[in-house]
Amino acid sequence: MSVLSAIIFIPIFAAIFLFFVNLHITLVKIVYMLATLTVAYLAVRLYIDFDASSSMQFIEQHAWITQYGIKYHVGVDGVSLGIVMMNALLMPLVAIALYKQRDKRGYWINLLFVQGGIMGAVLALDLMLFYLFWELMLLPIFFMIGLFGYGKSNFISMKFNMYTIFGSLMMLISILYMAVEHKEQFGFYSFALDELKNITLTTSESLLVFSGFMIAFGIKIPIFPFHTWLSDTYRSAPMGIVIVMSALMAKLGTYAIWRFLFTLLNETSQELAPYFIWLGLFGLIYFGISAISQTHLKRMFALSSASHLSLIVVGFYIYSNYGLIGSSYFIVAHALSSAAMFLMVAMMYERVQTYTIESLGGIAKVAPLFALFFAFFALSIVGVPLTAGFVAEVLIILGAFEYNTAIGFFAATSLLIPMLFMFKTISKVLYGETNEKTKNFQDLRAHELLAVIPLALLILAMGIFPNYFIKKIEPTAKAFVDKKEAVYYE
Amino acid sequence: MSNEFIALAVPALLLLSAIFILLFGFSTHYTKNRGYFITLTTLFIAFILSANGVGQKYSIVILPDIFNSMIVYDTFSATFISLFLLGGFLTLAIAKSFVDKTNFFTHESFVLLLFSLFGMVILSMANELLTAFIALEIASMSVYILVGLNKNSLKASEAFFKYLLLGSFSASFYLLGLMLIYAQAKSTNLDVIAEYILRTELHSQLLIVAGSMLIMITIMFKIAAVPFGAWVLDVYEGASLPITAYMAGVFKIAVFAFTLRVFLKDYITFEAVYDPLIIGGALVTMFVGSLLAVIQKSVKKMLAASSVVHSGYILIAFASIGEATSSAASAIMFYLFAYFISAIGAFGVLSYISKGSDKLINYDDLDGLAKTRPMIAASLTIFMLSLAGFPSTIGFIGKFYILTSAIEAGYTFLAFFGVLSAFISIYYYFKVIAHLYFKEAGHVEVHYGYKVSLAFIVLSAVVVLWGGVGTSLLLDIPGINALNELSRYSIESLGL
Repeated sequence: MSVLSAIIFIPIFAAIFLFFVNLHITLVKIVYMLATLTVAYLAVRLYIDFDASSSMQFIEQHAWITQYGIKYHVGVDGVSLGIVMMNALLMPLVAIALYKQRDKRGYWINLLFVQGGIMGAVLALDLMLFYLFWELMLLPIFFMIGLFGYGKSNFISMKFNMYTIFGSLMMLISILYMAVEHKEQFGFYSFALDELKNITLTTSESLLVFSGFMIAFGIKIPIFPFHTWLSDTYRSAPMGIVIVMSALMAKLGTYAIWRFLFTLLNETSQELAPYFIWLGLFGLIYFGISAISQTHLKRMFALSSASHLSLIVVGFYIYSNYGLIGSSYFIVAHALSSAAMFLMVAMMYERVQTYTIESLGGIAKVAPLFALFFAFFALSIVGVPLTAGFVAEVLIILGAFEYNTAIGFFAATSLLIPMLFMFKTISKVLYGETNEKTKNFQDLRAHELLAVIPLALLILAMGIFPNYFIKKIEPTAKAFVDKKEAVYYE
Repeated sequence: MSNEFIALAVPALLLLSAIFILLFGFSTHYTKNRGYFITLTTLFIAFILSANGVGQKYSIVILPDIFNSMIVYDTFSATFISLFLLGGFLTLAIAKSFVDKTNFFTHESFVLLLFSLFGMVILSMANELLTAFIALEIASMSVYILVGLNKNSLKASEAFFKYLLLGSFSASFYLLGLMLIYAQAKSTNLDVIAEYILRTELHSQLLIVAGSMLIMITIMFKIAAVPFGAWVLDVYEGASLPITAYMAGVFKIAVFAFTLRVFLKDYITFEAVYDPLIIGGALVTMFVGSLLAVIQKSVKKMLAASSVVHSGYILIAFASIGEATSSAASAIMFYLFAYFISAIGAFGVLSYISKGSDKLINYDDLDGLAKTRPMIAASLTIFMLSLAGFPSTIGFIGKFYILTSAIEAGYTFLAFFGVLSAFISIYYYFKVIAHLYFKEAGHVEVHYGYKVSLAFIVLSAVVVLWGGVGTSLLLDIPGINALNELSRYSIESLGL
């Protein structure tokens, strides 16, 4: 078993173990920590061992369903490495921050399960394997919202489930279609990414296949107009899963566009790129403006992260070195910032039992440490200099200017929108007069500090020394851009 | 053990055991428990016997001099026979609590069960239309009576009567069709008919086309395809739960086994005539079935309606048999495995928690089961996921094969509609899961006892999961590949 399989299956097996063995809740949390820390350790080792001069590495391959050429085929490259690292690092930190709030076994079992599912989906290089994990990670989210959600959680978990499964099924048809085409053109079934990309499709076929994939990814991210599940789900979901959704699952959608669509349907993607860039820019502005009007903190951050995700989509579709590196950097940066931000919101909810901005105020006076981190993470989401988001945004905007001045101009100016609501939130929540709810606001406790300090340090490090992190992505980006140019000159 | 011996021993064992219980039932030594265990042992021994015939590729005509080549024992029939016996065994094993707590499981019911299995065994070996008809009727008659077992229930009697009338009516179409085919081909043997069809031009064999069409009507009736399946909801509702499980999980598969044989031998030569009909049938069946399943309030009726949808999926593969013969046919085989184990498990859970009462299990009755009985809830969840075709279960692999074969045959739109109805099915299957996990328990904790029944339920759930991810990489137990090979061998043993 290679390190990648260990990273995928340790959380899943831990989850299965916890389901069958009825342990005391403290022991459950200990097992959770052990499993996620092992994964984190393995991921850090992976990061160190990752050779910064080549693209796809640590490939592991076994036959699975031989008749149809389906393989267990995993590997990691510069872009997926970022998501793997985030997934591995965030899960233990989430537990450290929230362990006092949650005393249900199911909560921790599902979080472990979703970690394994996301790892599998990120690392899979076989489309069937990818589909398996892509669907599997839905299940814990469905259970988490239904079991621990707020409000009409049954309805919302069902809606979310139906919405995303619809996308997945459309993708399934596309995958199967490509596999059958591969059989007709090469004589055997294959679901491997690097074999399926060799097939030739007519224009209408590739458009249909492309839209099958794009519906699945667009719903997960979500890009406009597939966002209608978003704000209800974020509002209702418990914090652990909100963090998973905004920091990891949504990023997986953007990653999948790059990994699968750009590999399998390169030419179609390039032809359609302008439409998706404009759609992304529209989403950036639309979600940003919707976020301004929100009074519910979770909904506001949900929309704000959707708005930034649209920017990531734009970055990928720009199809250049800058765009790709910027987007994959932004995936990591935004995962860190949004996870940290949602953790702060969760801690705040534990203290004041409310998410509405109006009923807060003056926290900075009573809880200076909390205010410091809250403001820092909020600013890091907007991407002020010295934070990781800044580097990423600059790279994407550079790419956008290179692509087309108008798009660059739009992207740069619309990045001001998040500033509007973020500064408004900071001033409303942290400053002003204290009220009944906030006057006894307790400052950050030791375990909460333990969870947020690493995140803050990482955000700073990625903002100040980007070169160290970017060099791992560069070979992947280069291979990708070379390939694109090869297509261009043909 | 020679295969010929197995082919004769299995039906003989079922028949003898049935006659034995029939006589033993009148003795003072007879208790329900004894009858139950004799039946169970018979099924187990017969299953072990028939499982010996699975795996190699062969085809033997059984005693051609006596039976005039009416009966063929090949890998195809061996596989199906093992499946029926396993299905009968599992149904009965899970239904232990049901059998104990009700008073209508008299010795005749075990006899009827064995008779119906005997009929199915012969049906899957029949290589001749008349034999098939008799076998089908033996099985059907027994099932009719099993449906009406509970004499005190008005619903059961209604279901029985409805099923009997409609079933006999539909069977007459078969006889008419058989007669037309005989009139032209001068034989009822499938191989001879196939040869005749190949020799003759399409437009000069109208009688055969018409006759096959009439036989199709009976088949469509038996598999509850829309519009011939109007009986299915009432009958499944009226029958007691183990019998419903048996009908959905075993009897339907027996009909499909025969259909597959007839299709591959005869129909395939003029599939151009039938394809539009089957495609239309598949579409209508999937959508009407989905609609029916969505509006049901009771889980039992929902499962009944969804079994119609599953017939629709299988019809997709039947439509694709002409262009993508081997992959579509093995897809049907695999899908039947998948549906068989998931349906038996799902109905089994219902019969386990209903404890012999004839009340319908509504969605609300499942509320909070996850807290009081986590293993049962988890098993039912796995069966639901499998029926919905969620990855990592055997149901997904089954759908995967069917959709692939449809695309391979050029029917991408059919695959697309199949996916759409799978999407609708997510709603009603996940509704069960939502009730299991998200609702507070409305009832007090119940002790069901019957660890054995529970063990078989959990075992089926494990099989469902293993059939979805199983590979020899992890454990050396036959997984997806082995099942796949099994279905391919079976299809190839038909001599195509």
